This record gives sequence, C-alpha cells and structure tokens, in this order.
Amino acid sequence: MAQISLRGVAKHYGEVAALTECTLDIQDREFVVLVGPSGSGKTTLLRIIAGLEYVSAGEVWFGDRCVNDVDVADRDIAMVFQNYGLYPHMSVYDNMAFGLRRRRLSPNKIDEHVRRTARLLSIEPLLSRRPRQLSGGQRQRVALGRAIVRDPAVFLLDEPLSNLDAHLRVQMRGEILKVHRAVTATTIYVTHDQVEALTMGDRIVVMNQGRIHQVGTPADLYDVPIDKFVASFIGTPAMGFIACRIERSSQGVELVTDSARMRLSPAKAQAVAKTTAERVFVGIRPERLTLAPEERASTAEVMVRGIVELVEMIGAEQYVHVATESGSLTARVPREQAVKAEKTVTLTAAARDLHLFDQGTGIALR
Amino acid sequence: MRAVAIAFALAWSLAPVYWMVVTSLKTELEAASLRPTLWPQNATGVNYASLWAGSLPFVSFFANTAMTCFATAIVAVLIATPAAYALSRARFRLRVPIGYSILMFRMLPLVVLLAPLYLLLLKARLLDSFVGLIVGFTTFGLPFAVWMIKSFIEAVPIEIEEAARIDGYPRWQILMRVVAPLIVPGLLSTGTFVFMEAWNSLIYPLTFVTTLERQTLPAALVLTFTGQFKTDWGGMMAASTLTTIPLMIAFFAVQRSMVRGLASGALAGA
Repeated sequence: MAQISLRGVAKHYGEVAALTECTLDIQDREFVVLVGPSGSGKTTLLRIIAGLEYVSAGEVWFGDRCVNDVDVADRDIAMVFQNYGLYPHMSVYDNMAFGLRRRRLSPNKIDEHVRRTARLLSIEPLLSRRPRQLSGGQRQRVALGRAIVRDPAVFLLDEPLSNLDAHLRVQMRGEILKVHRAVTATTIYVTHDQVEALTMGDRIVVMNQGRIHQVGTPADLYDVPIDKFVASFIGTPAMGFIACRIERSSQGVELVTDSARMRLSPAKAQAVAKTTAERVFVGIRPERLTLAPEERASTAEVMVRGIVELVEMIGAEQYVHVATESGSLTARVPREQAVKAEKTVTLTAAARDLHLFDQGTGIALR
Repeated sequence: MRAVAIAFALAWSLAPVYWMVVTSLKTELEAASLRPTLWPQNATGVNYASLWAGSLPFVSFFANTAMTCFATAIVAVLIATPAAYALSRARFRLRVPIGYSILMFRMLPLVVLLAPLYLLLLKARLLDSFVGLIVGFTTFGLPFAVWMIKSFIEAVPIEIEEAARIDGYPRWQILMRVVAPLIVPGLLSTGTFVFMEAWNSLIYPLTFVTTLERQTLPAALVLTFTGQFKTDWGGMMAASTLTTIPLMIAFFAVQRSMVRGLASGALAGA
C-alpha cells in the first residue's frame, strides 16, 4: 500500500526557492513521471519523497502516515540513481544482497531473492562481476535489480536512462515498465525527456521553475495543455506559437495578424470573448498544419503565410520551420512535398486545432 | 633547457643524501678532514659495524621509532577517518569553522605546542613513555590526516552513500562498510605520511623522552654522536642512512597506491 500525497511542499536553499507549493496525489501502484527541463525541481521533489532531503514547508504523506520526520531507511522505498550509485567494491550479487542483509534475512532467502530478481532482469551471468566490469546497460540493470530485490512499496527512478545510448534507452523503457508491472510498487520516475514521459507514465507531472504546471494522462497533456509552457514542452517537434491581436466587433471576435487569418470555433470564440486581453498566443501542433497551394488556402479556416527558414528531413517526413512576423510555426509534412528554404509558403489548419493562451499569464483560454 | 632544470633540481635535492651516504663510508679521520673528499679514499663499513657492535643500543632506537611511528599512523587514521567523515558529510552548525580550526592547529609552529603538551603529559604521567610519545606525534599528525582523508571521502560519489542509506544502513556502518573500503588507498597513503612525519620528528622525542634507551632514532643521533669535544660524523651518517631507508621503503610502497587513490577518487562511481 503506497499512496503518496504531497501537501504544499516547498524547498529553499538559502534564498533560492527550489520548489514552491507542490501538491500532488499519487495512487497505489501508479506509474507517475515527473518531467521538466533541468532546474525545474523534479529531482529535488523525488529526493524529498525518498527522504534524502527535508522539506522547508509542507507535508509528505505515505498512506495515512506523515513521513516528514521519517528516516530514509524506514520509508520502504528503493531508488535508482542517474549514475547508478552501485557499490564499486562489491560484486553484483553483493550489491543486490546488501540491503537484504541489513534486514537480517537468512542467507537462503537472500539467495532466493537475488537469483529471482537477476532472472527477471537477465543479469544472472553477471552476479560475480564487479560494477566496473559491466557495460552501461548492464549497470543500469543491476541498479534496477538492487532497487527491486527488496520489494519496496515505492520505487523511485532519477533519470535512469540518461547515460545510455538511444537504442538501449528504448529497450530499457520497456524493461522498466515490465519491472513496474512485476513488482506492484508505486513508481515515480524523473526525466527531462518528454518522449520518455509520454511513453511510460500512467500520469505525467509537468514541472518548471519549482512549480507543478499540470498533472494528467499523456493524452490530456498533449491535447489539452493547461498553459503555454506545457504546450511547448510536450510534443516533438514543439508546438509553434503566433502572437495575434484580438479584434472585437458586433459580429464577434477575430484573431488578426499581418500574415494570418483565423476563424474561431464557437467554443474558442466564447473563451476569447470572456477575456479582456488585447492579444493572445495561438499555438498549432506541427502535425495539424498542412502546406497548401495558394488557391486552396483561401477557403481554409486557418491560414498563415510565412518564409521557410529550415527544412529538416527525418525519414518518411520532414519538419518545415516557418517564420512569420508574429512568431514561428513548425509543420510536419510528407517528404513528397517539395519545400525550399527562403521561399514563402502558406500553412493551413482547422479551427479546432488552435490552442489559445493568454499573452500575459500563458494560461490556456477555454 | 628542461633537462638542465631537472638536473639542477635533482642535484640540489640529492646532494645532501649523497653526502650522508658517502660520509658514512669514510674513516673517522677522513670524515673530519678539513679538506673534504668527494668520495671515500678508503671505503669502510666500520661505521655500520660499530652501530651494532658499539655500546649504543642502536637496534632498540630503531625498534622504538618503528613501534611509536607505526602506532601513531594507526591511531591517527582511526581517529581521523570518522572525524573527516563527519566534516565532509554531516550537516551541523560550526562544521566549517571546526574544519578550519583543525587546519589552523596544523599551521602553528610545533614549538608553540611543546610546553602545553609537556604539561599535559606530565599531569597524565605519560612523560618518558611510548604512549606519551604516540600522543605527542598524533597531535601534529592528526590535523593533516583529517584533511587528507576528508578529500578522499569527498571524492566518493554521494549516491553510493545514499544508496546505502536507502538500503537501511546507519551512518557509522556506511562509513565502515561502504566508504572506508573505497578509500583504502587514501587511508594507506595518509597513514604513511603520518608515519614519515613522526619518524622525522626530533623535537618531541627530545622533549618528552628523558631515558636514552627509550629514545627514537633522530633524537638518539643528536644525543649520542655529537659531543662537546668531537662529533663522530661517520657513525652519525651511517645511522642516518639506516634511518632513511625505512622511510624510502614506506614511500615507494605506497607511492603507486597513492597515485591510484588520487586518480580513482576523481573517477569513482564509473
């Protein structure tokens, strides 16, 4: 049983605030990913949950117990560190058995646990080796093994894949999910890689500058980002933004720039009508943009004209980066469409694909 | 140009050593000659032989020194390791000032500590004893040992210790079972430094030990070979040469692990 509840958690280092007012509820056996750019406070939050850091304010609850003053050793957690933190002077077997020995299990039981876990992670042949004799991927498995062999209630992972090459990373993503299902622990996973977050998390917590911006399923975050930061952070390539003027007339509201024309869906029009702001940011996801010939563009709901800055070929598709006077957009289009840098192009989209954000606060307009 | 600089530095530092060895092989007359010779005209081992055969208990000076210095090295490392661990890893008020005051202690001239130490040892009835000498040696070896071991501990990636905390181990066991095994080369080289420093010490044994039979080598050399009317240079240099050899052995024995200690400190965790 490990529900975790953070209530107004804050952390200061002297004058510097690393975390501000973090409130979060994590269900038993959930796989939650903390994601954000470096310095967003995600690792600090993880270390507070682990008990390796004290909170400056707020409370951390495990189930119905406030663990603010509970020592790391008594929290029933296990952690995988970014650089693995294996004991260099011990064999793989001893690395895994070290925690079990502290719990005074019988040698037979320890052996049974270690071998079962080693089988699960396919590291049985490595048990007698020292960490320095292992490859990065193998060390990663041993670190995972050391964490799960104790069957903890909470399993914490701090950027565990960041030291692996791209190919191994994809493979280990699957392994970690497999392990998570096998051990039935509540898992909290920290990463700066939003692809990892989207592919692994039951729920994702997006953090920036010590604050939690949004908590939701991967689909929630992608489809209904709560603010401009989440919208730009989640998704590759990133969502592009254009600053638009709001023009109110008797017919309703319109968004205007020199290079774009945008019709709004009734719901969006209502949302815009509610604000008193003069300008909004309009965000459009790359896959929602189409490169249209001029004649078809005139009938589109949303039309933006701009100059191609850069074309990136990525295999079956290409990313076309387009600059306008009021912002840049990226379009993901098929390879067959011939696009040249420095040419003027017209991008179109559907009215329902616009994301609107307050220009001052960055909050989504709904 | 570089070769010249190296040659000069070598000559500069090895000349006294050369003079010591050469003089130890000279006859008494030649060693005291007003026209010094660069190498012995009639090389002789008589100075060495007389160290054993002579009236002086040279062998027991040697044993006294080895025993007290070895004990000092062990005591200093045993005390310094937990102190260094606390200074580098624990978080408490005055941690930094305490660390620097230990270092400051090191910067005081030894002579300043002589009188207070003498009085303390007198009160504790430890004057003219090996234990007293070990206490004296440890007082000046300890600050250095603390700071040196501290730097080795700080090179151990903190995650390794945090992993042990999560595995449920209390601090002192983490120190014993995780940190200490990782800094063994550092502990060895620290111990050797303390050992060499104690071995070289002259003023403490001269002050704290009054019975000649309990004296250490450097003090015994000064006390026995220099006289009011004549100094036995050959005998003194032979004894000095023998005094130097264990130091050289100690140094070369740990030199490799010392270098490895520094290097692995930088790269540990990998």
